[in-house]
Amino acid sequence: MNYDLNKLSQAQQKTSTLAGLKKLLQLIAHEKKILLLALLAILTNSSLNLLGPLVIGHTIDTYVQHKDYSGVIHNATILLCMYLLALFTSYSQTKLMGSVSQRMLFTLRNSIFNKLQQLPVGFFNQNKAGDLISRVNNDTDKLNQFFSQSLMQFIGNISIMVGAGVFLLLIKFELGVATLAPAVLILVLTLVLSPWIKRKNAQNLKSVGGMSSEIQESLHNFKVIIAFNRRDYFRKRFETANRDNYKTAIGSGLANNVFIPVYGLFASIAQLIVLAFGIYLITIGQFSIGLLVSYLSYSTNFYNPLRQLAALWTNFQLAMAGWDRISQILSLETDLPVMENGISEQNAALLEFRNVHFGYNDDQEILHNISFKLEQGKTYALVGPTGGGKTTTASLIARLYDPSKGLVMLDGRDIRTYSLEERTQKIGFILQEPFLFTGTVKDNILYGNDLYKDHSNEQLEKVIIDANLGSLLAIFESGLETQVLSSGDSISLGQKQLIAFMRAVLRNPQILILDEATANIDTITEQLLSDILNKLPDTTTRVIIAHRLNTIENADEIFFVNSGEVSRAGSLNDAMDMLLQGKRVS
Amino acid sequence: MKTDTQKPDKKPPGVFSLLKPYMGLVSLLLLFALISNGVNLWLPKIIASGIDDYTKQHFVFSDIIKKFSLAVLVIFIFSYLQTIIQTYASERVARDLRQKLADKISRQSHAFIEKANPSKLLTNLTADVDSIKLFVSQALVSIVSSLFIIIGASILLFTINWKLALAVIAIIPIIGGTFFYVLKNVRALFIKSRGVIDQLNKVINESILGAALIRVINSQQLEYNKFLEANTEAKQYGLKILGFFAGLIPIVTFTANLAALTILMMGGHFVINGSMTLGSFAAFNSYLSLLIFPIFILGFMSNLIAQASASFTRISVVLDAPDMVDAGTLKETLRGEVELKDVSLVYGQKPALKNVSFSVAAGSKIAIIGPTAAGKTQLLYLLTNLINPTSGYVHYDGRSIESYNSESFHSQVGFVFQDSIIFNMSIRENIAFSDTVTDESLEKAIETAELRDFIDNLPEKLNTIVSERGSSLSGGQKQRIMLARALAVNPKVLLLDDFTARVDTNTEKKILSNIQKNYPGLTLISVTQKIASVEHYDQILLLTQGEIVARGVHDELMQTSPDYVQIFNSQQSTSNYEHGAAH
Repeated sequence: MNYDLNKLSQAQQKTSTLAGLKKLLQLIAHEKKILLLALLAILTNSSLNLLGPLVIGHTIDTYVQHKDYSGVIHNATILLCMYLLALFTSYSQTKLMGSVSQRMLFTLRNSIFNKLQQLPVGFFNQNKAGDLISRVNNDTDKLNQFFSQSLMQFIGNISIMVGAGVFLLLIKFELGVATLAPAVLILVLTLVLSPWIKRKNAQNLKSVGGMSSEIQESLHNFKVIIAFNRRDYFRKRFETANRDNYKTAIGSGLANNVFIPVYGLFASIAQLIVLAFGIYLITIGQFSIGLLVSYLSYSTNFYNPLRQLAALWTNFQLAMAGWDRISQILSLETDLPVMENGISEQNAALLEFRNVHFGYNDDQEILHNISFKLEQGKTYALVGPTGGGKTTTASLIARLYDPSKGLVMLDGRDIRTYSLEERTQKIGFILQEPFLFTGTVKDNILYGNDLYKDHSNEQLEKVIIDANLGSLLAIFESGLETQVLSSGDSISLGQKQLIAFMRAVLRNPQILILDEATANIDTITEQLLSDILNKLPDTTTRVIIAHRLNTIENADEIFFVNSGEVSRAGSLNDAMDMLLQGKRVS
Repeated sequence: MKTDTQKPDKKPPGVFSLLKPYMGLVSLLLLFALISNGVNLWLPKIIASGIDDYTKQHFVFSDIIKKFSLAVLVIFIFSYLQTIIQTYASERVARDLRQKLADKISRQSHAFIEKANPSKLLTNLTADVDSIKLFVSQALVSIVSSLFIIIGASILLFTINWKLALAVIAIIPIIGGTFFYVLKNVRALFIKSRGVIDQLNKVINESILGAALIRVINSQQLEYNKFLEANTEAKQYGLKILGFFAGLIPIVTFTANLAALTILMMGGHFVINGSMTLGSFAAFNSYLSLLIFPIFILGFMSNLIAQASASFTRISVVLDAPDMVDAGTLKETLRGEVELKDVSLVYGQKPALKNVSFSVAAGSKIAIIGPTAAGKTQLLYLLTNLINPTSGYVHYDGRSIESYNSESFHSQVGFVFQDSIIFNMSIRENIAFSDTVTDESLEKAIETAELRDFIDNLPEKLNTIVSERGSSLSGGQKQRIMLARALAVNPKVLLLDDFTARVDTNTEKKILSNIQKNYPGLTLISVTQKIASVEHYDQILLLTQGEIVARGVHDELMQTSPDYVQIFNSQQSTSNYEHGAAH
């Protein structure tokens, strides 16, 4: 299955802003009640805000122009009450809407992370880590900025605008139509330009993602750059990415700013219309000075938010471009679904490959028609030249991938019918590249282990010693409390492998796969490991991939893996012969 | 840590100092902003005089239209120019700053990068630069034009009616005070929530980089819970911040409304008693709405400035770091003699190497074996000048490693790292990583590393792009590509860090004999676990816990070192087969 997000984005038909928005709004569908309440607050608040100028206009016409100061005071009292009420509604509108959007962001982040957890290993191999991290961090941050800051202003401004528009039309229809006419032009212009702006922003986000994965790659491998004297190369590559980013940033910046002066222009034109047309209407006796003053207020009330909306629209487009990139991830489904319970075969082998074919992509088949069986309690070794398919075979045993054809049977059942929990309980896999989480050795050994997670250090040490792992723990200076970092050279590769080994053994799996899991460990320590493996319960099946022959000398059976085919070697000698004769085809 | 606090009294230059090289652009920007804002202030005046002229019955229609249109046009043109310059200026500042940072980083040592932490440097180059960009593109203009409008509008209010103006302007300190109080609290919350977001990102990063492990262990739920905890905390901070903002805006609006009320009551009174015209009264209302908005902006922008300053401080730490002194001038061709004398290395508190001395004759082969965490890799790092010894020295051809020009040095010393480091580019670029590589030496390196068959079977041969963490390649293929990379520079000295770990015995033998044949006279320093592959080496060192506990050729060590014998025996049972295979 294709999980490459950059290829996906090319293939995917463009989603309209509206469709994207709709999907986003589904995340808050369950908050209808609060949304209604918030809407009520918003409407009350904007009508209060809008009634203000009307009252002021009325005061001017009826009282100021007729020199009735008690009337002025009377109306001022009314205004004060309105303003006090607005104080309350304005607070509740922000509070209500804001909390809805905070919860929405919370749900959104959770669903992205959840999706990341559901997707198979293939997804992570097909995408650059830097790009993924940028998508999940930066793009959600864009949404975050929009929801935590812009959305409330957005809604507040729209309600004020709509209200002001209604008042403009109600007070004097012809004048209202004339005042609003420039807004229609703006609307048309906005609609026409939006796709262009969105495209520009998407381009920019993409080059930002490219730049951060460039930096990520170079910085994490900086020692190679130094040792090969390629500092200039790093500079050059960064310069290209930076220049590229500059170009797209200018493009998106110009696109984003295009509206601000235009909106200002139209707002001024509208004022001019009010002034000219209004005064004309007054001269023919159809309008009053007081109304003109409030009318000017309303047109400001209408166009000022519009101008802010232009700025907010940018944030909105940015958020939507981010949302697009995130929904690409959200729309992916795992290609490793758990199937309904199938038929369970009697007296089956612990694990069996039946005519398995596999390729990481459609054009290149890595494994061709592989069949073999693993019995309980035995030790198997997979040997063969590099690139022959050993790791791939092991990955299929652990169901990191599914075969493209054929079946993998676990305990007489299709491996695809096992729940994740059941399967991972049965199969332990020590990966070629050990991965550690930032924390202590204890955190890492107990990672994902429910059985011992509440053990104190003393209890855990006892468990470790009982599992014959005590000698390995002793290698770490501060024992369980030794600090490790996820990245960097805080501990050696060999030590990382030791931690991964302890982690896997303590989980007590039925099948334990070691994929060159001890490659960087010295041979004496490795002998310890080998003893530990031998002392595992009789029921544990071991599958060992190694280049060092002493690691596999105790194997009950040896499989020779080469050019995507698996054949059985009778003895270690046979395996050696095959290795020597085997032509390396990768 | 202590070195950071040595000069606390020297205040670092503020974020404004960044703008110096862009003075031309910035002044133009401010000039345009001031012109458009200045004319904007004029608009209510035009309206006011229109209303007054009308009440005085000598209203000239075309005159007011002309003035108004002119003003509108000027505003439009200048605000347009302003946005364009704003975009260019901010992006240019960001681009140059990024480039400067990258240049600086590219000149630093390995130790610096590790200490500064690559993830933090990534943040410096992206998020921190972005917040400075935002400062240039928004804060700068907004602040200057807001101040201009506030001052300008205040002055105009005073010229119309000073008593009323005084009453209206009284709101500025109230609003300012509210902003100050709220933003002070919010900023503290922001810093805390930034910490939570960092935590969120850490969980995301680890879950992406450790994706395979998580799936093998089925710890998705565990990761989700970690994330959920951080996310819940982030939500709570978000809600707290929201609480402050929810209070801020109504209070500020209410204060502004009170000003409108004051205008109505006082202004109404003045109009009634004839001390103020109706037009001026209308203008007062217009200026009030002009006045409020900039105050809001100033409040929010102060936040942007604070963020930009914080970012600039973080960036300055990197920019102001002392340059690595590259005093080396020697460009001689190496013969390949290596000597270490009394070298000790202390990492943090713990010693990684203790008084290590040995020498390697040019063209000879030396092996370093030893248990996990004995300090073998650090030893190789010392030999490539990636790190410097705490005491003692490293000599090449009798001269200190530091006296060599680093470019010339690195083009003669090849290093195959233990961990697979494959860049997201073509195989050709991955191998010919240094620009001194000719096609001929590229071919020779490929042949030697036994990569020929593999490359020929790829769809696009040498131009095939391999992915970032090299996940489309097997462990052995990555190792061989890395070997070819080291050989392609035609090194005089080759350092192998556990190269044989991921390559099968058969291939390993072929490769080593290829090296003998194709690179005669090469000094080979190999860190390894396998005694069998190094039995015939000129010298074998046994390194344990940072100390050389035994040295000599294989036969000597078998006589003198029980530790060596133990390692030998641990491999003995199968080395027969390997011997059998070799002969």
